[in-house]
Amino acid sequence: MKGLLRLATNPESVHICIIRLICVLSVLFTGGCKKEKESSYTPTPYTIQIPKFFPSNLNIPADNPMTVEGITLGRYLFYDGRLSGRTSPDSLMSCCTCHIQEYSFTCGINNPSFPGGMPHGLTGIPTPHAMMPMINLAWNNNGYLWNGLIRTDNPDTHRRNIEDLVWMGITAPHEMHGDTSRTVALIQSIPGYPELFKKAFGSDKVTMKNIGKAIAQFIRTLISSNSRFDKYLRGETQLSEQELSGFEIFTTENGGDCFHCHGESGNPLFTTNLFYNNGKDTVFTDTRDRYHVTGRTPDIGAYKAPTLRNVEVRGPYMHDGRYKTLDEVIDFYSGKVVWSPYIDPLMHHVATGGVRLTSKQKSDLKAFIHTLRDDEFLTNPDFAKPATFPDGTK
Amino acid sequence: MIRIKFLIASLLLAFTGIFLFSCTKNNSDSSSIVFTFSHTVDGQPVQFDTIKYINAAGNQYSVSNIQYFVSDFKFWKHDGTQINYTNPQDIHYVDTDIPGTFTWNFSNNIIPGDYDSITFNFGIDTLKNKPGLFSTTPEMDMSWPAMMGGGYHYMKLNGKWIPAGGTEAMPFGVHLGIGRVYNSDSTYHDVQNYFTVKLDKSFTILNGQTKTFNINMNIEKWFKYPYVYNFDVYGGSIMGNQEAQNIFKKNGKFVFSESISSR
Repeated sequence: MKGLLRLATNPESVHICIIRLICVLSVLFTGGCKKEKESSYTPTPYTIQIPKFFPSNLNIPADNPMTVEGITLGRYLFYDGRLSGRTSPDSLMSCCTCHIQEYSFTCGINNPSFPGGMPHGLTGIPTPHAMMPMINLAWNNNGYLWNGLIRTDNPDTHRRNIEDLVWMGITAPHEMHGDTSRTVALIQSIPGYPELFKKAFGSDKVTMKNIGKAIAQFIRTLISSNSRFDKYLRGETQLSEQELSGFEIFTTENGGDCFHCHGESGNPLFTTNLFYNNGKDTVFTDTRDRYHVTGRTPDIGAYKAPTLRNVEVRGPYMHDGRYKTLDEVIDFYSGKVVWSPYIDPLMHHVATGGVRLTSKQKSDLKAFIHTLRDDEFLTNPDFAKPATFPDGTK
Repeated sequence: MIRIKFLIASLLLAFTGIFLFSCTKNNSDSSSIVFTFSHTVDGQPVQFDTIKYINAAGNQYSVSNIQYFVSDFKFWKHDGTQINYTNPQDIHYVDTDIPGTFTWNFSNNIIPGDYDSITFNFGIDTLKNKPGLFSTTPEMDMSWPAMMGGGYHYMKLNGKWIPAGGTEAMPFGVHLGIGRVYNSDSTYHDVQNYFTVKLDKSFTILNGQTKTFNINMNIEKWFKYPYVYNFDVYGGSIMGNQEAQNIFKKNGKFVFSESISSR
């Protein structure tokens, strides 16, 4: 204040001081309200429409809001074999090499490229686990992969969401076994892609971060909500007597007791996205189970309960693919469950080896599970391979 | 010159005022209630997944996790009148696997004064306990199948016990909800198993004060009083067993205790 009053003895300095003061204050007060001018970057926001009866809490990172342009780009990249960073026809690999729409984005048990439905990477290294379906992943708030390693609260900031799985897919030896710098350079060199990156992210410079963001956006659009069971819930169709009997078995504790882990009409995701030791084994040697993420003894031998939507098209089943058919899975839960100290408390029927279903009950249960097949999802053209890639190639 | 000095001083005062005003905390007189939730066995914080407890029936047991709903909190005055601060849909979910659910900032608009007690429903009452009540997980994962009465589980208390004569810990799920009872002619009727809990401790809340009520679940009491619950009798799954449900409905009134702190 003294300094300012001293200035006041010099009229010229006073004027300058006032002007400066007004300028500073004007900037202070207007700066916060001024919208940044982004003439060249105006992506179109994309909002997931929550299907009826679905949860409303989605897992979409704040730094990767969904846009039409991002999804479009992501779809190209998901299907473009050059994502591997290679151009030789026998070295192309992208997400879709293993994540095939008609098999609910798994590789499929009858796929000649992957005998038994167990995938391997570009260089032939087998993946450690069977594949999980890519369905309704935007609703998964409890971690991705069989063991939930990829989770939003992971201290490792590179292991938090689908964006990071894309990165891992390109580099993992049992997947593309690639080099992200090579991938980035190749995508950058392909005509059409830089423009798509500019539309989606405001810069035509291809980055691995934006590749991950775009593919993750596309994956979050892979929504299944139109199975026969969905239509039944919405009152649009009726299930058969056998299917309804199966539904009752599915949702009763003294029946199949499936719903505690796999949901039901109250949670039509048909998974809690949580992790359970479901009584398959008595000895546990897998270093990729839930225990190896949490360090909690009760998590030994525990794996995520996958969604049962489209389960009939995505065998083999369980984390290690030990069961080839749904019948085998139902037989397991009916009478082959084994006790271990780590069995989940929700496996109420372990003392009798399982839920002890009759053959009719098994048939009814299977009939209900078939109602979770969503053909619209399996054939949706928006999820399919684009007719051509940005450079015009097919 | 005086005008210039006046102008500078006015500008400084005005902007100082604006900045100070924007940083001043809004100091109202409303009082607040916070509920916290804890879980003990025999007076000690529960240690999960360890067979170290023995219930009133002599069953050795462990607790793996607990999920439950509390609802309809009412504040009672000495003269018997009640004040209901919540909307009917205000229901709180507690999950021992999600520590964030242990604290519930209940209301910042509590009327200061003397109160006699607090009551709440354990579970969800008949009018509200309908499919579609919740639109987010994990609450939606508490759904109670329509085939078994519908709505939502009031509670899932999951753990293991060692059956008599055995050595292997077997799973149990004390899952409470609407009981569907089938009659001999294949018709059925549903029994509402939620119940009201009274926190019978008078308190005074002053202007601007925040009181924190810790609601403790004394887990062993589920199995103790007035009915002794024996896992060897009822087994590990009771959703379809109204007789077992009724034991927990009756015992549940005596399961909770409270403590109050102020700031």
